[in-house]
Amino acid sequence: MAGRILQIRDLTTGFVTEKGIVKATDKVSLQLEKGQTLCLVGESGSGKSVTALSIMRLIDYAGGMVLEGSIEFHGKDLAQIGQDELRKIRGDKIAMIFQDPMSALNPVFTIGDQIAESLRLHRGLSDSAAWKEAVELLRLVGIPDPALRAKQYSHELSGGMCQRVVIAIALACRPDLLIADEPTTALDVTVQAQILDLLRNLKDELGMSIILITHDMGVAAEMADRIAVMYAGVIVEEGTVQEIFNNPSHPYTVGLLQSIPGLDGDRGKELFTIQGSIPGLGQIPTGCRFHPRCPHAMDICRSQEPSDYWITQDHRAACWLFEDNKVNKSNQRKVKGGV
Amino acid sequence: MTEYLVRRLLQSVLVLFLITLVAFGLIHAAPGGPTQIMLSPGLSPEALKVQAHNLGLDQPLHIQYIRWLGDMLKGDLGYTFKNNLPVGDILWPTVGNTLVLMAVAWLLSLIIAIPWGIYNSTSAYGISDQVASFVSYVGFAMPAFWFGILLQELFALKLNLLPLSDMWTMGEEGNIGNLILHLLMPVTVLSLGFLASYVKYSRSSMLEVLDQDYIRTARAKGVPERKVVFRHALRNALIPIITVLGLDLPILVGGATLTERVFNWPGMGRLFIEMALAREYSVLMAITIVTAVMVIIGNLVADILYAIVDPRVQLGRKGGRAA
Amino acid sequence: MTELNLDPSLGTPELGSGEATKAADAPSSAWRLFWSKFSRNRFAVIGLIVLGFFILVALFARLIAPHDPTYIDYMFANLPAGSEGHLLGTDELGRDIFSRLVYSSQTSLMVGFSVAVAAVCIGSILGAISGYFGGIIDTIFMRIIDVMYSLPTLFINILVLAIFGSKFVYMILILSLTSWMGVARLVRGVFLQLREMQYVEAAKAIGVSNWGIIFRHLLRNASFPIIVNATLMVGGAILAESALSFLGLGIQAPMTSWGIMLSNAQEFMLVDPMQAVYPGLCILIVVLAVNFIGDGIRDAMDPRHKVMISRRRLDKWREEYYKSEI
Repeated sequence: MAGRILQIRDLTTGFVTEKGIVKATDKVSLQLEKGQTLCLVGESGSGKSVTALSIMRLIDYAGGMVLEGSIEFHGKDLAQIGQDELRKIRGDKIAMIFQDPMSALNPVFTIGDQIAESLRLHRGLSDSAAWKEAVELLRLVGIPDPALRAKQYSHELSGGMCQRVVIAIALACRPDLLIADEPTTALDVTVQAQILDLLRNLKDELGMSIILITHDMGVAAEMADRIAVMYAGVIVEEGTVQEIFNNPSHPYTVGLLQSIPGLDGDRGKELFTIQGSIPGLGQIPTGCRFHPRCPHAMDICRSQEPSDYWITQDHRAACWLFEDNKVNKSNQRKVKGGV
Repeated sequence: MTEYLVRRLLQSVLVLFLITLVAFGLIHAAPGGPTQIMLSPGLSPEALKVQAHNLGLDQPLHIQYIRWLGDMLKGDLGYTFKNNLPVGDILWPTVGNTLVLMAVAWLLSLIIAIPWGIYNSTSAYGISDQVASFVSYVGFAMPAFWFGILLQELFALKLNLLPLSDMWTMGEEGNIGNLILHLLMPVTVLSLGFLASYVKYSRSSMLEVLDQDYIRTARAKGVPERKVVFRHALRNALIPIITVLGLDLPILVGGATLTERVFNWPGMGRLFIEMALAREYSVLMAITIVTAVMVIIGNLVADILYAIVDPRVQLGRKGGRAA
Repeated sequence: MTELNLDPSLGTPELGSGEATKAADAPSSAWRLFWSKFSRNRFAVIGLIVLGFFILVALFARLIAPHDPTYIDYMFANLPAGSEGHLLGTDELGRDIFSRLVYSSQTSLMVGFSVAVAAVCIGSILGAISGYFGGIIDTIFMRIIDVMYSLPTLFINILVLAIFGSKFVYMILILSLTSWMGVARLVRGVFLQLREMQYVEAAKAIGVSNWGIIFRHLLRNASFPIIVNATLMVGGAILAESALSFLGLGIQAPMTSWGIMLSNAQEFMLVDPMQAVYPGLCILIVVLAVNFIGDGIRDAMDPRHKVMISRRRLDKWREEYYKSEI
């Protein structure tokens, strides 16, 4: 392998509320290899955005905090260093793009200015050099007439264009890691496909790794090398895209996949739905968090939280159903020592 | 941008026209209005008729209004009833005096309030923020003239540090140091009122902006926090602050009235009260118009600033300013 | 009820959140929620207590005041506070200051509440007309509101009272005529919302009274903002009354008000500076109380209820969290 770029261990984050600290994610562990795409999949409220914001430590500005765990990036634990040091990494080595491109751009600055700022900050370019580079970046993300567009404001661009601009800002310093939080959710279907294509091409061109956050299994199937499924603040299943789609193990993943229309060819059939809804922060059930909605719930599910069990060497699920799995037993040591 | 300003200007003219109409209507609707007051008492009915004719009071109201408006546009503000003095001679010096007082108080409060509000937005619910919140509450709830009286009692009567009232000490007219001494208390009173609202507005406006997605984008870019606040957030936060400043102008004029009265400041507000009690309608009308013009000019300046700060305005996408 | 929400046109499932279903339908529970939030706001509760206190004082002024507030006795003019029989002394005409303060609370509260009620009525009617008819009428009304906002209100008040004479009714009228705009905007907004909504059409078809729907909708969507607005108007009107009375244009003798008392006090501040302190303090306290209540209501209604947490408390929680983990 080309090397591990990101290693998250037992990441627990919380938000400050009136009643104290409420955990948003609980002992999330993930890893990402260089040049790969990891998709974090889950419903809204599952903690996937919080995880993304935690990697950037932008969570600190949103009323939340990293409570424990480590986020190792290029050998440095991002959970431990201060904001001043993080600032040098953000926008340079790690970049992020957001869900709503229109509101992600500052309305009072030209888009060229907003791209150039990154270059001035991290690369120390002069104003004119940064501007020239900004125009190049606009060209790179497929914006026609980039020299003209650079002088425009976000309200003069369409949503799809705005998202390209946001991507250009993120790519300005050629980051090693790009975190994309639902980058296509706010866009039209046709534009969605274009943006995904763009991301995939840029990834190959620039050799970066991507963490893509989505609620959309279709997007995940298209983009991911690995998929991690999140539910109520924990990762319930994680594995390669083939494993997840061919051999979904956690009942929640199974439910997610069954509710994609047209996958198994019978369009007319009523679509499968998972009963109930995701618990809110601070209302996490005891035992397995999914047990109130799980068709296979057993006694142990109600009282004890399952740890990760291995389906194959490269595929884990946090579900009591796999407690006795053979692969799991052979992997025992690996589990105990973290992922 | 030009189109936007022209539209704004036209609207202002319309507003001004409406104000003159209301003021004129009010005064002529008055029981014992100008008709009675302007005519000299004790004249024979024939003489009265002649006088009324000479003054144009026998004309229908709309003709009177148009004439009056025409005179106003020519800069002829009319004459007082009592001593037949030109209104302009009485009014213009007071306008200058009021502007001095208001400008000093207003600028001072802005210089303090906006940075303070910004600071408080970045450390919300800290000590400074709570002090500001206290100041705002008191500033909103306290009668300004009462504050003025208390200051007078303390600094002029008890401690004998500052002059009790007026703009100059007799014989010291033109001495800037003397003016400053006289300005201290009224400016304090006025500034507190402005400060109360501006510190609150700038804080909440900044907090709102700091919560926006594009601020997160800036942080994700690695922009230092100071730059996030002063470059990315401030310009956006200024947009509603400018609106509020423009909308506040009438209150500004009103607030100065009471302060002028308490400190016997020879300004437009004090004149207005005196003339209201004396029923000098031509002066009252003139002051109303001058005030309206000031408010409208202020609003226009706010509109221009608005267009400079917010690029969205230039395309005329923003219909009206949200209040 | 919420499940994986499917939108076949996208070909992929959309995962819904459970929050949407939790609409506060029952009015009683909404009230309870409101009250629990409101009562946790220390300042709002203090404001309520203080306002209640002043209302009681105003209601029972005759029992509380030791003297007739209008009784003039030059023999006992300008007595200092603590004189026999005169708790806060007497003014330049020998009237008992404490009694005058007590009776003035009647004036202030009466002005405050009448203006608020009248302005809410005017604003609701004009806002309803504007929003209901829309189009040109709406445009004209909105222009008028803009003009009203750009008028120096105090000048208008002075002008009207100087022209028509300083009668109590006139004062209430002109104060409410210059403060209805906020309510009008709120009510108009609700009507515009209603116009957009198709269920009004549906309800009309079933035969439910149109005004019934409108009224219910208005109550549900605008009652709290209107109450907040009205509360702030009470404070504003009390301040305006005191200013006008201070200028000699508001309340006239033999009625008494804190504003008149201040105007007298300024004339005699060399003799007794304390005379200026009490009435102003009363105004400050009442208006503060009213504003606290208004802000309390607004904060309790604000869905983006902001949590006030100090850095210290935050650090404490963090510590506690770590302890509990170990």
